[in-house]
Amino acid sequence: MTSTPMPAPAAGTPTANASEAPADEGLRAGPLVTPAPAPATAGSMIAIEGVSKWYGDFKVLTGCSTRVARGEVVVVCGPSGSGKSTLIKCVNALEPFQEGQITVDGTRVKDRGTNLPKLRARVGMVFQHFELFPHLSITDNLTIAQRKVLGRSGEDARKRGLDLLDRVGLSAHAKKFPGQLSGGQQQRVAIARALAMNPVVMLFDEPTSALDPEMVGEVLDVMVELARDGMTMMVVTHEMGFARKVADRVIFMDRGEIVEDATKDAFFGQPRSERAQQFLSKILAH
Amino acid sequence: MFSNFDFSVIAASLPYLFGQGMVFTLTLTALAATGGIVFGTGLAMMRLSGIPGVTQAAKLYVELMRSLPLVLVIFWFYFLVPYIGAWVTGSATPIQVGAFASALVTFTLFEAAYFAEIMRAGIQSIAKGQSAAASALGMSYWQTMRLVVLPQALRNMLPLLLTQTIVLFQDTSLVYVLSLTDFMGAASKVAQRDGRLVEMYLFAALVYFAVCFTASWLVRRLQTRVAIIR
Repeated sequence: MTSTPMPAPAAGTPTANASEAPADEGLRAGPLVTPAPAPATAGSMIAIEGVSKWYGDFKVLTGCSTRVARGEVVVVCGPSGSGKSTLIKCVNALEPFQEGQITVDGTRVKDRGTNLPKLRARVGMVFQHFELFPHLSITDNLTIAQRKVLGRSGEDARKRGLDLLDRVGLSAHAKKFPGQLSGGQQQRVAIARALAMNPVVMLFDEPTSALDPEMVGEVLDVMVELARDGMTMMVVTHEMGFARKVADRVIFMDRGEIVEDATKDAFFGQPRSERAQQFLSKILAH
Repeated sequence: MFSNFDFSVIAASLPYLFGQGMVFTLTLTALAATGGIVFGTGLAMMRLSGIPGVTQAAKLYVELMRSLPLVLVIFWFYFLVPYIGAWVTGSATPIQVGAFASALVTFTLFEAAYFAEIMRAGIQSIAKGQSAAASALGMSYWQTMRLVVLPQALRNMLPLLLTQTIVLFQDTSLVYVLSLTDFMGAASKVAQRDGRLVEMYLFAALVYFAVCFTASWLVRRLQTRVAIIR
């Protein structure tokens, strides 16, 4: 089996009313992102076509194909070991893949001529374990890539970094070090750090899985806000509440395959595959 | 018991022992440690690069240096480098390499092998997620190393690097085989000249002990202060 047929992405996604999104508590009003410039081509932001990947003899991804349209929020879920984290890491080539092709905003990831650092600078990524740089202050964490990768001046980078830190409600912590912040605060800084690069798309790899339960909400609030601002997002998560709230589509993966790829309503209404049904009943039981 | 000994020889020779000998020892230690850490870090990066040939070359170098006695390497460089230099430049006579330059190059190259292993452990101690995060932000391999991995590895490994430098401080006494006058050599010369071997060697031992013991204590104190908050 290769891939499930791809349903057309829901038209008129919530991105249309981005400016009407209410500001969450603890978050300042105003969009987290400036809306992306009008697309050069009306195509999708991410196109994953027949991607397969092996670790030695072990096949971790089998013919995965899907698309993420501009402004769309796609949630990827599935049992652990299903390959969902691996798939999202293929999108910015943190993980190489042997077969297939991924195109991000018109740039083919697996092309000899592709400048990977340049591509990655336009793709924001948030990790399960935050991965802030522990030897740098929060301000330096927010500015280092802006300065060294994008070549922004120290002042511009600082302004943009502190602005985003304010939007995630943490401006009081600018001079601290990552180790002095809680997990939830660190993850919000990590989101701000990625946004500081003005990415065209944001990838989230289980952003709340390493958090204590009481901190999950503050991180999801930031992500919901981001989604309502019209950011294109691909989110690997088990937070079905988040999926219900802002996802346009839900992808269900199992054993390296995309088993289901449906609109949110179709997925939660009546998932077709037995495996997806089992998975949903398990995680929704809690 | 000490009635036969004359410890006034120590006081009389202090300016020479420290002004000449210890200054030389500390200079050689500082320069060789700096050079060794820089070259050792390069070797560690080569060894971890995974590039066929490069990894093996670094491994071979490190294993070779760590398998040879330091005295042998010192001799080797001192007698051989002038000829290699002559061969490289096409000169008919061996090129002139001063004893100090020769010693400095030897200690740097030799210690680099030890510093390389420390830095390798240091680089490996940085979670892979850190370089993934740096890559995801668009940093190149060199930027990732320079801005994210090495600063953390250096801080994590600082106590070990300094401890290795203390060992280097002691090892520099081996330059006596090149007739260079380090602290040990200076003490030795006075001892031979005045026939006060016991007094001078006892004093030299005390000084080495005092310096190394104090340095070790400082390193332990530093260890708690430089640790990165996690």
